[in-house]
Formats: sequence, C-alpha cells, structure tokens
Amino acid sequence: MDNLNLKRHISGQFNTELENIRNHVLLMGGLVEKQLSDAISAISTLDVALAEQVIKNDRKVNSFEVTIDEECTRIIAKRQPAAGDLRLIFAISKTVTDLERIGDSAKMLANVALKKDASKQGKLLVSLENLGRECVTMLHNVLDCFARMDVDAAFEVHSADSLIDAQYESLMRELMTYMMEDPRAIPSIMEVMWAARALERVGDRAQNIAEYVIYFIKGKDIRHLEEDEIAQLRE
Amino acid sequence: MINLERTNTELNNEEQLDLANLTDEQTAFSIENLDLHYGEKQALKGVSMRIPKGQVTAFIGPSGCGKSTLLRCLNRMNDLIDNCNITGEIKLEQHNIFDRNVDVATLRRRVGMVFQRPNPFPKSIYENVVYGLRLQGVKDRRRLDEAVEESLRGAALWDEVKDRLHDNALGLSGGQQQRLVIARAIAIEPEVLLLDEPTSALDPISTLVIEELITELKKKFTVVIVTHNMQQAARVSDNTAFMYMGELIEYSDTNTLFTTPAKKQTEDYITGRYG
Repeated sequence: MDNLNLKRHISGQFNTELENIRNHVLLMGGLVEKQLSDAISAISTLDVALAEQVIKNDRKVNSFEVTIDEECTRIIAKRQPAAGDLRLIFAISKTVTDLERIGDSAKMLANVALKKDASKQGKLLVSLENLGRECVTMLHNVLDCFARMDVDAAFEVHSADSLIDAQYESLMRELMTYMMEDPRAIPSIMEVMWAARALERVGDRAQNIAEYVIYFIKGKDIRHLEEDEIAQLRE
Repeated sequence: MINLERTNTELNNEEQLDLANLTDEQTAFSIENLDLHYGEKQALKGVSMRIPKGQVTAFIGPSGCGKSTLLRCLNRMNDLIDNCNITGEIKLEQHNIFDRNVDVATLRRRVGMVFQRPNPFPKSIYENVVYGLRLQGVKDRRRLDEAVEESLRGAALWDEVKDRLHDNALGLSGGQQQRLVIARAIAIEPEVLLLDEPTSALDPISTLVIEELITELKKKFTVVIVTHNMQQAARVSDNTAFMYMGELIEYSDTNTLFTTPAKKQTEDYITGRYG
C-alpha cells in the first residue's frame, strides 16, 4: 500500500477516486479468480450446476470491466494525471481488459464442463485440472502483487508463465498420443484441447498483468523483451 | 524478435536531443554553476544546464522556486534590481552574457521577452509592432509595413487586425494584446524568446491560441517559457526543467519528465502531492 502513495495528494477527492478504482479492481480480481477456480472444479467434478453458475456470473465480470474503464476515463478527463498516477490509470485500464478475458476463458471452460463429450475423458480431465490449478495460483499471485504493488513478486510471477507453458506442451503431447491410439475419441479430446488452450492463455494474461504492475512501479515497459533484458531491468 | 529500439525511433518522428551532451552548435544558452542572491537570500543555487536551440524549454516549479529569476537572468533583467548578486556564467552562443563588453541593449534585442500581463503601449497596433524597429532607426515605410504584416502573421494575429492597424492597441482583447506583444517582440527578429507565464492572465481559448503559436514560433526562435500550469508545460515544451528552492532538481525531455520522472520530488510536484 505504501508504495502506491495514494493518500498524499493535496486533493482529497482525487485520493478517494483513486482508492475507489483500486478497490474495484481488487474486487473484480477476486471475482475472476473465483470464476476460474469454479470452472476448473466444474470440469473435474462434472458439476453442471456450478458450471451454469460460472456462465451466469460472467456478466458481473463484464460489467466490472465497463465500470472501471468509465472511472479511468473520468479520472483522465477531470484530473489529468501525470507520472505515477498516469501509469496507475493505464495499468488499471489494461489489467481489467486482461481480467475480463480471463473471465471469458472461465466461461469457456464451464461450457466444456457442460458437454457430454468431455466427460468421457476422465483421465485427461485430471491433467487438465492440474494445469488449471497452476493457472489459478498464478492469477492469485499476480493479483496479490497488484494489491501490494510488489515489484519483486511481479517479476517472479512474470517468469512463472514458462512453467505453465511447459505443462501445456506436455499435456498437448499426451492428448496427441490419445488421439493416435483411438481416433474415435478425437471429438471429445478436442474439447479438452480447447480447454487446455484457454488455460494456457490465462497464464499469458496473468503475465501481462505482472507487466503492468512492473510498468506502474518502475516506469519501464518490459513487454516483448528477451529474458536477459528483463533480468537487467530487474536490478 | 523485432528490434524494438529501432521501431521506437521509427514511430517517434521527432528526434530527441541528449540534453546532458549537447554540442555547442545545438546549444542556445549554456548555464554554468549559476548562483544568485537577492541581498542575503539565495534565489538560485548552482544551476547548470544547456538550453537547446530551436526548441521549447519550460521551467516549472512551485512559487518562489527561482524559475522566473532564472528566466530573467537570460537577458539580464536582474541587472535592474539593486541588491542582486550573480556568480557563475551564462553563455549565449558561446559568449558570456555577463562580460563587461556586452551591451545589454543588444543582448535584449537578441533575447526578447514577453511578460505575464500583456503590456502594449497606448499607441496604435501598427506603432506597437514597429516600436523596436523605430528605436533601431528604421524609417523606410515599406520595410516597416512588411515587418508589421510578417510579425502579426507570425503571432497569429494578422487576420484579426489587418483592417484596423491604426486603432489603439488597448482596444484589443487580452488574448489579442498578448499576441500583439509577441508580435512586437518578434518584429526585431530576436534569436530567443523568453515567455514569463504568458497565458496566466488569459481565458482558456486564448491560452490555446498562444500555445499553438508557441509551437509555430519554435520553427524560427528558441523559446524558453516559465509556467505555473504543468499541463501547459507538458503540451508545448520539448524539454522541461523542474526547480525547487532555487535548485534545478530534474531536467529532461518533456515526455520522460511527465511519464517517468527520475526524482521523487518531481513526481510529487507534478502529481500534486505534498512535498
């Protein structure tokens, strides 16, 4: 909280506005994390009711995105934020876009849970759940970084995405083996494949959020940089 | 992997000067270790900076930080204050402006100044613009006419006043008066134009007109501007210097200073926080 440095504006009203918008992002983050976690549970336990609830709740996620973006626009118009404040507004606006997309992935996963095809692939669903839990942890960690504006933790999360990518690759190989063994199962395996793909994207989006946190605190844009360049910036 | 640095420069057409390492050719003013005292009180403390040619440089900072004092040093307006004591040097085109053999009138012809409140003379618009030229002894009617049109066009005022050049200048609106004063300053073709809060007495629209004018002016002159309005500094300037309690805290290109300032003091000031 301290490095957010929100409370020291001469304008108390501006402090309040920034504080509100930040709280909304944290609420939205909490909701998206729950959505993702529920969607994964729904898949592994084939819980239809839970899946339907996730699909219904996606509307809440969407309206959070719209509301927070409106607040960002209002602050830019009324306060003309500069330096750290400006970077915070941009970080928030981009974070909610990524959170909304993670929400969409959760909804997509819930839809997979509702399909009968997927239910035939019990063994595969276990591997999918493992990947999913990894993604939930990463999302949880990055939201934690955002709440505390902790740059070191953000760099940690940023590098954690490669673990998810590796896990995704190995799941893909597993799926391909199954497809070759039993071509009749291809339609149902494809469902699992889409779900895995959605989870891999969640990892990328969590990584994006880590980048915004780093941008806000350090003022450095680390998007599209190679790993050694990022390591240099970290010092 | 795309080469990001190259892409960045391709996207940003305007070339950014390296302020810390300006060559003499790129420099209008070179300020070295400037100290200034008003009696006992020290108003400037060891200011060193180079102001690049053909660009707009803004001084920002809270009241009493020394930004106007620094601006006034650039054409030796502080000479008029009795107990003002200056050490250090300021070079204009590599010549120290405090040298004994420098003629102050010549210096001020090369370094023009526009103040906070428009101060046209109680004469016609035409006479206001040619005032400096008449002082220089120019009598040729055609040359004066040309200078009036050119300067008023340069100050984005020509179209509004061309039919009433011989009306009294005090009948113009505040924004027009300020542009008239700018026309008067550029009529004598200075190298540098100093603007001391040129829009603080103007309404928002006149302010925008003047700001637009400043970006035009830099094509011909070096512009140095002092402003209380940070957004104005952000809009019009290429480089910004932040001053606090007589010291130059941070000096960098405007884009960097307003998005990722290096010093916490700068950050606190431009985001409106308690220092």
